[in-house]
Amino acid sequence: MSILTDPDMSEIIDDFCVESETIYNQLEDLLGEYEENNDKAKLEEFGQTIDRVMGAAKSVDADLTGMYCELGKTISYKASQSMDKALLTVVIAVLFDTVEILQIMNKNINSDKEEKVSGINLEVFGSRLRWLADKFKNIRRSSVSVDNESVLEDQKSIDDLLASLGL
Amino acid sequence: MAFDPTQKILIVDDMSTMRKIIKNMLSKMGCTDLHEADDGKPAWEMIQSAHESDQPFQFIVSDWNMPVMTGLDLLKNLKESEHFKKLPFLMITAEAEQANVIIAVKAGVSNFIVKPFSIVTLKEKIDKVFH
Repeated sequence: MSILTDPDMSEIIDDFCVESETIYNQLEDLLGEYEENNDKAKLEEFGQTIDRVMGAAKSVDADLTGMYCELGKTISYKASQSMDKALLTVVIAVLFDTVEILQIMNKNINSDKEEKVSGINLEVFGSRLRWLADKFKNIRRSSVSVDNESVLEDQKSIDDLLASLGL
Repeated sequence: MAFDPTQKILIVDDMSTMRKIIKNMLSKMGCTDLHEADDGKPAWEMIQSAHESDQPFQFIVSDWNMPVMTGLDLLKNLKESEHFKKLPFLMITAEAEQANVIIAVKAGVSNFIVKPFSIVTLKEKIDKVFH
């Protein structure tokens, strides 16, 4: 059974929805602030902020939410290092759409325990995000960390590294 | 030193959802003395205060990415202190860059766990920390 639909986890899911909604509002504010003064630090802050939802979403089986957050984080971090003004305009528009979709999904998780948005093909929108992330493929840094090193995203990668370090 | 579920444990994460998930898992493992902090900074203050009142924390489970004080900075603070340098510390992360994992290992992290994780993985990691 998915955690989203597990009655024993309903309190945690309710809290997740409330907490996520607050963060989505912060994300909207950050995009608005970027539009006002083109301060790329706001895009980096967007990445750090959406990262907070990402881990929790994956932990409660809100996989689409987790995937959108992950792609939004990658795009915003990489865009914060880009000088391409035309592409940045597209990025901001897509990130606004992403946050709006996340907000609708969040409401539906809260009411129906389901990640859905009527009238939007979420897989297609996900492909659009991947396409955009790919536009920044020459920019390596995509995480909260500052070094341009390989990113370890699964338990085995980290366990292998820890073993090689004697842990 | 084997893991004792009656140990005093501090869960540090800026997402209340994650703290509740971890607390839920630790409760299922029989842990009862569970405490929470929403950032590294209050966690550091709680750890110091608990030590001063002679009821020290015995295990820290902390997220890496937090807005005010990161899990790595909390770990470094602990390891620089004579009182806390042996305190077991399990780091939680959604992703980590290789260089920073190495920095955390050098700083004395006990182990890492990657989100999302199951209760089985959490138990395995805790067993490794206390092996």
